[in-house]
Amino acid sequence: MDGSLLSAMGRNWVRAMGAAVLAFLVVPVLFVFPMSLSSSMIFELIPEKPGLMQYARFFGSSNWMRAVLMSVQAACGTTVLATILGVLASLGLHRFPTRWRASLEAMLILPRIVPSIVFAVAAYSLFLRVGLAGSLLGLIVAHSILATPFVVVLVSSALAGFDRSQEEASRSLGANQFRTFFRITLPQIRLAVFAGALFAFNVSFDEVVVTLFISGTYTKTLPVKVWDAILYEMSPILPAISTLIISVTLLIMVPVLLMQRRTAAP
Amino acid sequence: MAKRGLSHREVTTPDATGTRVLIRDRKPRNWELLLLLGPPLVFLLVFFLYPLGRVVYGSFFSPQFNVAAYQRIFRAALYLKAFSITLRVSLLTTLSCAVLGYVCAYFLAGTAPATRQKLMLCVIIPFFLSMLVRNYIWMAILQRTGLINKLLMRLQIIDHPLELMYNEFGVLVVMTNMLLPYMILPILASLLSISGDLANASASLGASPLRTFWRVTFPLSLPGVSAGSLLVFIVSLGFFITPALVGGPKQTMISNLIDFNVREVLNWPFAYALATTLLVGTLILYFIYIRVLEGRLPRMGFS
Repeated sequence: MDGSLLSAMGRNWVRAMGAAVLAFLVVPVLFVFPMSLSSSMIFELIPEKPGLMQYARFFGSSNWMRAVLMSVQAACGTTVLATILGVLASLGLHRFPTRWRASLEAMLILPRIVPSIVFAVAAYSLFLRVGLAGSLLGLIVAHSILATPFVVVLVSSALAGFDRSQEEASRSLGANQFRTFFRITLPQIRLAVFAGALFAFNVSFDEVVVTLFISGTYTKTLPVKVWDAILYEMSPILPAISTLIISVTLLIMVPVLLMQRRTAAP
Repeated sequence: MAKRGLSHREVTTPDATGTRVLIRDRKPRNWELLLLLGPPLVFLLVFFLYPLGRVVYGSFFSPQFNVAAYQRIFRAALYLKAFSITLRVSLLTTLSCAVLGYVCAYFLAGTAPATRQKLMLCVIIPFFLSMLVRNYIWMAILQRTGLINKLLMRLQIIDHPLELMYNEFGVLVVMTNMLLPYMILPILASLLSISGDLANASASLGASPLRTFWRVTFPLSLPGVSAGSLLVFIVSLGFFITPALVGGPKQTMISNLIDFNVREVLNWPFAYALATTLLVGTLILYFIYIRVLEGRLPRMGFS
């Protein structure tokens, strides 16, 4: 569709309204940065006495730091597990007979389709039964279920552009499967694998609905503690924590997006 | 040198012009697939499919077979209210996303590709940020002592703070904000796939731009609108965070009811029944989505 369609159709109206919608999406997120510099109990966009007080309170609180540690541990575990499972699944999917490939892919993506509250109840119920409730391992398992689909999608799309005959050439020259994978396949898909790993970390770090159910008193992650704070405290430390959480995601997503741009065909 | 175990089968496939072309495809060995797909599928089975199965089972057997939980859901006015609220909120969210999303997608479709890529970041980046944090930010904006009220009071436009939160308005605003990307992306894809020649042809035949839009562009973009709407609707149904934080008691949706029954009241069979209902509803809608829209929509990465 070229621009001529817009030219006489109130182009300026469309531009203004379209830009307004984009602003609606982006601007609220930006608010949290100046808000976090406030030193008072009220929400101010332009703080009267700006300072890093709230950040100091956050980093100085052992409660909050314990939650951060738990989140990081769960996220690291999830990254490892989800990436391994996701890469395996993508490789298998790539070799799967094309007829059933779509159905298999749908099954692997299913955890993102089912509402999180349903999975939350299901996981919580099972974990209570097998003693995983309130454990770090339980967090890693549940988060991995939610993160693996992202890895599968990213690595699968990289494999789609990958020429299988290179693998065959390698095999016919005498290399075994593992050697072929690590020397031929992996180097070419490693951008996608890296992006998938970062994605998995982000999914786990931000996960709240399922974690609300399966985390225990000693395994509260950062999002769960933020949730509790929102419902029961509403303290001015929250904008600062929010800024930090968003910044972590931005740090992670920027390289992922750049990678996508690089690997996308012109 | 021995060619170890490479079994080719000759397969023909039509190329871009329709001519049958010979390609060679290596048959995957069973143990290969087992080794690769085994671990992820077993993991999925044990920690995802099995727990879901337990939920469905538990809704019918507590422990004897009975449908008491379902009877309660579909008879008691209280729970039917929750269902109707969920449907109402989801429909209204879909509607507002459709209107705002179409305008935004149309705007984006008319921009140059380089500009469009940068503007798309405005759509995609918020999408990946923590939903909890974004909901909190909206609370800070919509509250009685929040940014909007403070601004309006300072400008002396209002005397008393407006009730923008803990009501349907707040929930709709925030849910629309959360779900717009799901609408914008499919509509944009649809619009971009419309050939510019069609618009030119229509104009050269004498149609006004408005008529061209209404008779040519809009109908051709409908697959994107349907896909986006269905997607937004499905995701709205299962939404939890926004109604919990931004909504009032009258905005209790199915997910909140499930939460209440599990974490507060510990009424597991009932929670299972609610969850199963939500699950089945969601899956049916997704099935419809895939069947009706697959193939009529250009591929758009993952959604």
